[in-house]
Amino acid sequence: MALVVGSPVSGTVVGLSGVSDPVFAAAMVGPGTAVDPVRAPGHVCAPVAGVLRKLKPHAFIVVTDDGHGVLVHLGIDTIRLDGAGFRLIATEGDWVAAGEPVVAWDPAEVATRGFSPICPVIALDATDDVLSDHSKHGPVEAGEPLFSWN
Amino acid sequence: MEPEPNQPDQPARPALGKARAIIDGLGGAQNILEIEPCITRLRTEVRDGTLVSESALKSAGVHGVSRRGTIVQVIVGPEADVLAQDIEDQLAAEEDQF
Repeated sequence: MALVVGSPVSGTVVGLSGVSDPVFAAAMVGPGTAVDPVRAPGHVCAPVAGVLRKLKPHAFIVVTDDGHGVLVHLGIDTIRLDGAGFRLIATEGDWVAAGEPVVAWDPAEVATRGFSPICPVIALDATDDVLSDHSKHGPVEAGEPLFSWN
Repeated sequence: MEPEPNQPDQPARPALGKARAIIDGLGGAQNILEIEPCITRLRTEVRDGTLVSESALKSAGVHGVSRRGTIVQVIVGPEADVLAQDIEDQLAAEEDQF
């Protein structure tokens, strides 16, 4: 059965081509899409159910029971913020349900600090042809489907 | 039985061989100024960007390479943390030889 990957944030789906970081834009990390978040304080949610294999203030990876890893990156080059403006809600190693809040942040603040708050959502170790709907653009609410992983 | 001492090195951990290959691809230990893991990539700063071999890095099994002058990002996937540690260990071991 296809894995449905949900949006970690509310905003506008812009696709990886809408990301200023060439590494994400060229899908070097993997295929997927990106969401330009609404500029308001909020939570970043788990896109799928699974274990939080990595958790940094600016990025996390959830791995499902059957081994699908999904990376959510909160903004571009935001490792440089060194955690400022991010608050961890979950803990690395936790099992999280899809839609469960993982990090609290304010995309407007990230933008004010000079960084793009766009969130790439990446299917790790996947190829483009196993994803569907990942080229759709437009408004999305947190938790709504972003793409399917077959 | 004792292993043959002259057998070609078969690294106990594949990652160590990969770490070595990435160091070489970045122009060797002397060329690496900084290496920092970021979830799926190694952000590195090198002394001389012309010594970096993208084809060598690709043969080392990395997903991709992105460079801007002396800043080289090596995309390795979620094993970035482990790999960065292996690389740091190897760099430290080499420094000890001098």
